[in-house]
Amino acid sequence: MQDAIVELAGARKVFASPEGGEVKALDNIYLDVRRNEFLTLLGPSGCGKTTLLQSIGGFVRLDAGTISIDGADMTRVPPHLRPVNTVFQNYALFPHMSVEQNVGYALEVRGIPARERREKVGAALVMVGLGGMEKRRPNQLSGGQQQRVALARAIVARPKLLLLDEPLSALDRGLRHSMQIELKNLQNELGISFVFVTHDKEEALTMSDRIAVLKHGRIQQIAAPREIYDRPANPFVASFIGVSNMFEGSIDSGSLVMDRGETLQLGRTLQDCKGRATAVIRPEQFSLSFEQDTRAGIDVTIDQVIFVGAGFELYARTRGGRELVVSAPASARDDVARAESDRRARLIYVPANIHLMPGEGGSQ
Amino acid sequence: MSLNWLFRGGLVAYTALFFAFIYLPLALIAVYSFNSNPVNMMTWEGFTTDWYWQVLGFKTTVSEAAMYIESTGQLLAALRNSIVIAFSTTLISTVLGTALALALYRYDFLGARTYRVLMFMPMLVPDIVLGIALLIFFVNAGVHLGIGTIIIGQCTFLISYVFIVVSSRLAGMDRSLEHASADLGANEWVTFRKVVLPQLMPGVMGGALLAFIISMDDLVITYFIAGTDVTTLPIFIFAMLRRGIKPEINAIAVMMLTFSFLVASLGLYLRSRQK
Amino acid sequence: MIASTRDRMQLGLLLGPATVFLAVFFLIPLAIMVVTSFLAPGLYGGVEWEFYPHNFGRIFGFADPAFEEFDPVYLEIFLRSVRIAVLTVIATLLVCYPAAFCISMMPGKWKSFCLFLIALPFFTSLIVRLFVWVLILRQSGPVNGVLLALGLIDQPLDLIYTEGAIILGMVYIFIPFMFMPIYASVEKLDWSLIRASQDLGAGPIRTFVRVILPLTAPGIIGGSLIVFIPALGNFIVPAILGGAKVMMLGNLIEQQFLSARNWPFGSALAMMVMSVMLVTMMGFVFVSGRRRSSMASLSGGQRGAQ
Repeated sequence: MQDAIVELAGARKVFASPEGGEVKALDNIYLDVRRNEFLTLLGPSGCGKTTLLQSIGGFVRLDAGTISIDGADMTRVPPHLRPVNTVFQNYALFPHMSVEQNVGYALEVRGIPARERREKVGAALVMVGLGGMEKRRPNQLSGGQQQRVALARAIVARPKLLLLDEPLSALDRGLRHSMQIELKNLQNELGISFVFVTHDKEEALTMSDRIAVLKHGRIQQIAAPREIYDRPANPFVASFIGVSNMFEGSIDSGSLVMDRGETLQLGRTLQDCKGRATAVIRPEQFSLSFEQDTRAGIDVTIDQVIFVGAGFELYARTRGGRELVVSAPASARDDVARAESDRRARLIYVPANIHLMPGEGGSQ
Repeated sequence: MSLNWLFRGGLVAYTALFFAFIYLPLALIAVYSFNSNPVNMMTWEGFTTDWYWQVLGFKTTVSEAAMYIESTGQLLAALRNSIVIAFSTTLISTVLGTALALALYRYDFLGARTYRVLMFMPMLVPDIVLGIALLIFFVNAGVHLGIGTIIIGQCTFLISYVFIVVSSRLAGMDRSLEHASADLGANEWVTFRKVVLPQLMPGVMGGALLAFIISMDDLVITYFIAGTDVTTLPIFIFAMLRRGIKPEINAIAVMMLTFSFLVASLGLYLRSRQK
Repeated sequence: MIASTRDRMQLGLLLGPATVFLAVFFLIPLAIMVVTSFLAPGLYGGVEWEFYPHNFGRIFGFADPAFEEFDPVYLEIFLRSVRIAVLTVIATLLVCYPAAFCISMMPGKWKSFCLFLIALPFFTSLIVRLFVWVLILRQSGPVNGVLLALGLIDQPLDLIYTEGAIILGMVYIFIPFMFMPIYASVEKLDWSLIRASQDLGAGPIRTFVRVILPLTAPGIIGGSLIVFIPALGNFIVPAILGGAKVMMLGNLIEQQFLSARNWPFGSALAMMVMSVMLVTMMGFVFVSGRRRSSMASLSGGQRGAQ
């Protein structure tokens, strides 16, 4: 795989948990980070995503497995000799140094002369939109500015790979969104790979070329955002990425039979499957109807309708008591109004669009 | 509303009383150090600065009977001893205490917890106990009591003070800064020099200042291990007090108060500026 | 976590000097003192190398019958020292506790100025601060002067050289020691809890006893401890303000070492001071350990709930 900048093979790391047991932070991880790729490690806290990032940075020593960066084995190489820089979660700016000294630190320790250093620092600061702030101290900057200094500091030495450990989690919502876009642009501009850790699925979906979803130290799925969203590999990924409507049951002659006798028609390609499975129908894949016809549909009562600006969200309930979420565009205003006043409707779906996953349980 | 005002008035009044209790006695001695009455120091007779001149060794009109036998030379010798001792103990205890704090910060070795607890012992052992223990030790070991034994004796507890001040500074330090430094390509030594040390310095300076002040003021431990030929400033004054009070001592006291107020204000001002 | 021999050498270099220093000049002297307290006093100030429990016997009532009869004076001095130390703790607490509240309620600038004023005396000479009280309390001092002038007394009172004078002097020098821990816990006090208590119908006294006092207990306990220990073995304050009339353990120890030259008995007395200190310390560790474990289980529960 010559287009991989980082290769992890069979990486394992076990920590002693505070309760006395063991926690598998990394459980036999195989991961390639491609060149010029924005890869996001996504998962709930404790899933091992930060450990994975730190093992690339060199702060965590693997119990087993190897890691190579740009073709060179880095498994036992200490952090300061790796061609990798990190943007830390709390920024970790040196409080006793000015912005210029902070950003120039990586160049200084490499013995780069002051003149060249000043130029590069200036360029890096301009790149993150902080030109002219050289003489300030970190504590004189806002959270967003500190964030940018940390970014400039990490890119000034042109690492082969930039690691970002939940760098946006401390920023407020609006700032976070604009930083997401800037980060993505910066990555394009620099032409290096970013490995980004987050527990925020919106962030992951917005910025990434690929997303790796982790749970209990294992990679659950690694794919492009759309793929992850449309075709989650298992119920955990589906629920973590925010899929609402999941149906568990067993497949029987072309339909999914659920526990309370409800059934779901499956598309032709899924006719031959067998066993237990979970089906996904996303909220926007339903359409509202009020007629009984031959189309596949579910009869529901409507509990609540919420206006969400771009459209509506309907909270519905099947006869078996299963709760469903339906989203309807603003153009379906009349149907929504009728559903709200009737308090009942029929949800039409296209069997061929149903995504089926092996296994059970939407909850983690 | 009126109750609230009463409450607030009470608070202010109490605080005023509290500070009056602390500072009025000191103000009183400052005033009476200018009293010219040579017999009864607390009966005002007139304004004079003679006592100060007397202490500083100038010729004054003060009669011999109103003075201590000691010459200004002895006072200055005691002061010089105190300063020599304070500088030595500050140097030794700052180096040793800082090294110890760094060892416990950087390395998670077996017995580190025990060390941490043990380091509080020299501060907690009552100073009279430490004083006599050192006296018995030095006499049994055949060591001549003098400046050397005073320095060693004071260091035993000053190391603890420095250790605790530096440790608390280290505990407040952000470990991720060291990670950031390593991440940016600095090796361990460069990280220590450029990241750890600059942040540690205020703690080290604070510990050193504390050690210096405590050393200058230590009476009990020094009293037991000073031997017969060496006198420090606190011991000199203690001895004067035990023999009876003469007006000169007011002047000495006020000069010491003024000096330590200046030093302490400077220290606290510098600390507040660093924050 | 010690990985390489280089790490080991570094650690040794950092730890070694201080460890050796403290072992030789702190632990060994204390051990020798313990041994000395069980040896017989020599005739001319030395020690006789034989086991001799009567040093403690002189204090507790089994004196060496060959030389002396039991004299309860030492027990009296011991009990007086404990009494004075306890009273000092209580008085210092009563002075500092309200002050901590007053100052914590001040606006920021005043607050730091007041803290500066409280810390300042700590940096000034102890002996000078005690000497001031000699001037104030003696017969010709301003207190007696004012009382005489007002006609409340016709003879100057003996204010100095009393237990009261000792306690006053100790309170004066220990104020910063007590104030700082109390202030730290008062500063941390969450005032919404007090409003909550009042909101739930508790009056000021009940709020104080059930909410404020328990929350500031760590400061009270810590402050009491660091005042009690130096107060118990103090010999400077009684030497200056107590004179020969009111003797404490510290003076007795000093006498045994510097005038009576009975080192074993002096060591035994020092052991008394040490043992009271150790018992107090253990009580402190026990109490704070229990508090901490209850706190830990509380925060653990919160973590579980997340």
